Amino acid sequence: MLRLMTETAKLQMKQSFARPMFRFCLIANPFLNTILLYEMFLGAGEEDFFSYVVLGAGLMGLWSCICFSSAGDINRERYMGTLALVFAAPSSFQAVIYGKIIGNTLLSLFSFVVSLLTAALLFRVPVTVHAPGFFAVAFLAAVVSFIAISSVIACLLTLSRKTELYMNLLELPLALLCGFVFPVEMLPKPLQLCSALLSPTHAARLLRMSVTASPDRALFLRELAVLCVLTLLYLSGAVLLYKRIDKRVRIRATLDVA
Amino acid sequence: MADAVIEVKDLKREYVSTKGLFQRSKRVVKAVDGVSFCVNRGEIFGLLGQNGAGKTTTVKMLTTLLAPTAGVCRVLGHDCFGEEKHIRSRINFIFGGEFGVYRRLSARDNLRYFAHLYLLDRKVSEVRIEELLALTDLADRADDLAETYSKGMIQRLQIARGLINDPEILFMDEPTVGLDPVGARMLRDIIRRLKEQGRTVLLTTHYLKEAEELCDHMVIVNHGRVAVAGTPAEIRGHHGSLEDAYLALVGGEEDASADD
Ligand SMILES: Nc1ncnc2c1ncn2[C@@H]1O[C@H](COP(=O)(O)OP(=O)(O)OP(=O)(O)O)[C@@H](O)[C@H]1O
Ligand SMILES: [Mg+2]
Repeated sequence: MLRLMTETAKLQMKQSFARPMFRFCLIANPFLNTILLYEMFLGAGEEDFFSYVVLGAGLMGLWSCICFSSAGDINRERYMGTLALVFAAPSSFQAVIYGKIIGNTLLSLFSFVVSLLTAALLFRVPVTVHAPGFFAVAFLAAVVSFIAISSVIACLLTLSRKTELYMNLLELPLALLCGFVFPVEMLPKPLQLCSALLSPTHAARLLRMSVTASPDRALFLRELAVLCVLTLLYLSGAVLLYKRIDKRVRIRATLDVA
Repeated sequence: MADAVIEVKDLKREYVSTKGLFQRSKRVVKAVDGVSFCVNRGEIFGLLGQNGAGKTTTVKMLTTLLAPTAGVCRVLGHDCFGEEKHIRSRINFIFGGEFGVYRRLSARDNLRYFAHLYLLDRKVSEVRIEELLALTDLADRADDLAETYSKGMIQRLQIARGLINDPEILFMDEPTVGLDPVGARMLRDIIRRLKEQGRTVLLTTHYLKEAEELCDHMVIVNHGRVAVAGTPAEIRGHHGSLEDAYLALVGGEEDASADD
């Protein structure tokens, strides 16, 4: 089971990287976003480059990669005719989905490296992390939470043949709602409620907290707790969804396009 | 009475599709409309019929990919919908055409990955993969990416993939589509060898000669129903060939597949 997941993750990384669109999302996207955000923040007289420019571009890059690969891959496999094969294999379909998502997420982390390098080399933005310990915890929690939210999305997308549409609908709104590039507090109140329910919001906040200064331990832990609870909710949601979806796809015949 | 490994009784499957954004109109296609047949262990069974007759739909239900709307659909004594856990590791299937392989992987890597999906032991699978590559005549191209293969090579890779778990029952939906004469012969030989090993094969095909040559029993479906069932000789009956018998059964009604 574990081996299947690692094999799937490896396969996924190989396949994703072979796709030009993915390489664009992974490398060009964070590079360009970093430049764009830097100029915007510079124009606005903002000084907090690391938090919003580097992390912002990195998070956006990570998110696009996840959206377009974890989600898109289901569709791609549907069109290749391999989705049905994977589904009908005796191994757990969910394990395969997780393998894919983990592979993609790990590979997508590279977008952070790109935005970091862009900011450091092009704009000489100081890239010191003030609280490396906190940052490491925040980073790990962020990765896990992204895996959780992707698994919910991937489950839902197995059900529909209009995957591509939903993928595009998801990409930017989530980046905005979760405050990747500006504080969530700038959003209207009702939207802030949405933000609070989305785990990436908290992940982004944790990352920022540990970058700028040594964070208030209590505040950090509270945010971390919220993130963990949300992540667990997403994961259990995915497990429940999967159980239903396993039957639904066969009733609605969405495994292939033939 | 021989032991029936596939039991289909009064099997039905409808596809519901909705059209239009505001005035949603529902359209129901009765793809399979009350089909019954039995397949015994160790035989080669043919499922024949016009385009759109419901062959692929039937095979999908048998291979646990599609839920039946009504009727009995059992493989190896288990329900295909609900008890698929007991079926999946013991069967496999091949759909004709250029789909169903990872095009950015080599043949060997494809087979390796599917070996993982079938939870095979690594030592066992490495040996089997070499055997299958040799069997399907892909050994010398085994490390090239599948996207560089010809149609027939992809088809042969599919065949190798379908045999990866040494299935008790192999379902084949038009497996000879796109194969050259040598490839088609190779496939027929593989099918016969499977039978010698006591395996069961259910196959759909539009090549009546092929069906006649291979099959122990067959059914011809038309409009989602069984038009006739029996051995090739029985179906041929007084007609000169299986083709004549087939045409007499389903021919003449040119609108057979014009329902979409
Ligand atoms: N996903 C689907 N949604 C709606 N209708 C479908 C779907 N799949 C198949 N059908 C319809 O069901 C009917 C039977 O299709 P099926 O693929 O089983 O035929 P077939 O016997 O395999 O034909 P062929 O020889 O062309 O492969 C056809 O009328 C087809 O249009
Ligand atoms: Mg068909």
